Amino acid sequence: MDTKMDSISVIRPSRRTGFFLAAACLFAASALAFAQEVTTQLSSQQTRVGQPVQMMVTVTGGRAELPQTLSVNGLQINLAGQRSSSSAQFGSGGFQATTSTTYIYLVVPQFEGEFMIPAFDVTVGGRAFQTKPMRLSVGTGSAGGQAPPPQSAPGQPQQPRSSSSSSTNARPYFAELILTKKKAYVGEVVPAELRFYFSSRMSGQLGDRPNFGGEGFTVQKFSNAARREQVIDGETFQVFSFQTSITPVKIGTLAIPVAKLDARLQVPGSAPQGIPDIFGNLGGMFSQSQDVAIETKPSSIEVLPLPKEGRPDDFSGAIGQFTMDVTASPKKTEPGEPVTLTANIAGKGNFESMAAPTLTADEDWRSYPPAEKITTADSIGFTGEKKFDFTLVARKDQTLTPGLTFSYFDPDASKFETIVQPPLPVDARAATASTAPGPLPSTPITTDAPATPPPAPTGTPDIAAMASGASSWLSILQRRDFWLANAALAIAWLAVATILNVRRFAASSAGARAARRRKAHQLLAELRATDPKLFDEKAVQYLCIRLETDPLSISPRLDALTLPDDVRSAIEKILHREAESKYATGTSTPPSSEIRAEALAALAKLEACREK
Amino acid sequence: MKNNFALLAALFIAATPFVLHADDLDNARAQFKDREFDKSAVLFEKVSETSPSAGIFYELGRAYDGLGNNARAALSFQRSLLLDPRFAPARTALREAQTKLGIPQSKPRWQTKLAEFVPLDPVSLVATALFWFGAFFFLISIFSDHKKSRVLVSVASLVIAIGLLTSVWLSDPRVAHRDTAMILASGGATALASPAEQSEKIASLPEGSLITILSQRGRWFFAKLPSGANGWLLTDGVVPVIPNS
Repeated sequence: MDTKMDSISVIRPSRRTGFFLAAACLFAASALAFAQEVTTQLSSQQTRVGQPVQMMVTVTGGRAELPQTLSVNGLQINLAGQRSSSSAQFGSGGFQATTSTTYIYLVVPQFEGEFMIPAFDVTVGGRAFQTKPMRLSVGTGSAGGQAPPPQSAPGQPQQPRSSSSSSTNARPYFAELILTKKKAYVGEVVPAELRFYFSSRMSGQLGDRPNFGGEGFTVQKFSNAARREQVIDGETFQVFSFQTSITPVKIGTLAIPVAKLDARLQVPGSAPQGIPDIFGNLGGMFSQSQDVAIETKPSSIEVLPLPKEGRPDDFSGAIGQFTMDVTASPKKTEPGEPVTLTANIAGKGNFESMAAPTLTADEDWRSYPPAEKITTADSIGFTGEKKFDFTLVARKDQTLTPGLTFSYFDPDASKFETIVQPPLPVDARAATASTAPGPLPSTPITTDAPATPPPAPTGTPDIAAMASGASSWLSILQRRDFWLANAALAIAWLAVATILNVRRFAASSAGARAARRRKAHQLLAELRATDPKLFDEKAVQYLCIRLETDPLSISPRLDALTLPDDVRSAIEKILHREAESKYATGTSTPPSSEIRAEALAALAKLEACREK
Repeated sequence: MKNNFALLAALFIAATPFVLHADDLDNARAQFKDREFDKSAVLFEKVSETSPSAGIFYELGRAYDGLGNNARAALSFQRSLLLDPRFAPARTALREAQTKLGIPQSKPRWQTKLAEFVPLDPVSLVATALFWFGAFFFLISIFSDHKKSRVLVSVASLVIAIGLLTSVWLSDPRVAHRDTAMILASGGATALASPAEQSEKIASLPEGSLITILSQRGRWFFAKLPSGANGWLLTDGVVPVIPNS
């Protein structure tokens, strides 16, 4: 029960009941029972056939047990609901609270006449009470308030007609089934619509879906309820319609049983005599809840067999009116690559049970069962399109796809139709020896080719032998040995770079200068421990290297240096002694240790000295 | 004499796996020829574990195909293509297996196309050699006369080599599919919004679908689905395309 009838004219019972229940709970703790009492009352003592009246049984002072139905010939009396009320008063006995419950019976007259509702037993707190008999006068009026109007013919205006000229007040709700055809072929989809009408004076809740089905036909899933308003005989009705379709599966006259929809309705009632209905404009405080099953009228449809004459060989059950559009993609393929042949069948009919079109001239193609997809344009799947994707692989190079044929039965024209799609141009290359997967053990499904035994699975090792590639799940770039080899190469590169750099430095003037400086430093160190006879000669060698000149140019080079006089003097003496030892005829005396010490001190100062 | 015997024994022991492998392979092929596809598949599986190769996986896939196990066949063909992306029969067979499984054919990416035409491992080696040639030539160039032209040649070699290595890295399916797994669960798998069986369903994946595993939490994989969305799947029936990855 989830479809609510939207009406502001009625106060919803749940709220009212909740309020009274809350009030009852509030007073329950201090409630003291008044004297127990049972009273009965009719909302009206006069009514017409089909127009319900309410019978209210008010019980004070305790919980009551009442019958659910009362049996009176000509009256349908059912317990429809209850409501509670509480009151409090101060009296001589102090504070007293009273709770009363009103049980509401709905009395629906079946025919006219004078009726006596007999007394019946009511048990209150274990004590038996008896109600008073009541008289009800039923006059002539509309017959069968719940009877549906006659069924509309297919294609006729969708106005429901009253079964009599009486007011629709007598029929606050009714239903009808509309079939678009009275004659159909077996397997044909026949759209249908179930309509449920409710007077706008009512509110309530509807069941999810109608209960509809029967033998000899299948029913499509119902659409969601569509709601609209419609004026019938001057009264406004809310109309809830459910779209569906039925598919006959049996030949002959097919009885379509009633379709039922459960509803809980708030039926307006009239106030008891002497009690003003102050909420009358809001639907009345005396409305009550009523569970009803609204039914359509039984119907029938004539189901014909499909003719045998002219039935195409490839007919596979499609009934309706269809068109077919075929495309091939891609237009050009690599060797062994599949072509997808797409057939779009659009129109109206039984898409669910429609089989795929048939491939023609497909001997040189391998084909597989097509993928199917239905796209519906309405809620019941009657109109729309069905797409079939055939995957085709050329056995030989092909310039045309296979053709397609699609046969269906047109129920309006009462004859079979066949749509023939000629082959489409395509440049499909067969798998070459290097790409062919070899004969598969399972036979591909072909539509026209005669059944052949599965080919022997030979050639697989030969094909497998054509494979090369890796035997590792790691790429070369992911392998450790690759990176180790590269690391070794990187080290070699760095080594070569270092060597070349050193060689270049050595070959450069700065490198030569640094080399000379190192040699000078080394000579100076050796000079300290050298033979005194060779001291002057080695000292001059040092000076030549240090000053980057020859022995004869030492003196001019010294001018370029800012030297203390003692250093310069000591160096001059070295040069003099060395020249003397070289050019003098006599034997020269080696310098004394003091002279050597003085010379070494001067050379050390020269070592530290910077050029001007 | 003693030493000779020990050497022979060692050689025999070392050669045993190859002998057994050859026997299993011959048996597997014989079983396949006799249409004993189940026995053949078991033997091919055994061989593929010890000596994986594109050819062995192709034959394994054919055995599964004979059994009608399209998902296992697709996995084997996929593995065959990982080891040799240029092996066209495996590519065709994979396409057919996927067609039978109802897996839509996706348009191949440039990396896949490149892998179909280029022998990746040899190119990797050539590119590496070119890289080091360029590196050493660069070194020599900058320490020699006629620097400019030599440096240009060496830099060009380095750039080409790095470009080739990058392309190979991006195209190698063993790299691209290192986190890829295939749904082998009978009836496919359901991707959920969170790792709980009651959570919202995102997609139903048919058998043979490929997913990319992003992470794992307990018995759940968080994966990228073929549609591009991410979802959670139970690990049962999800098999990595690269074994033991």
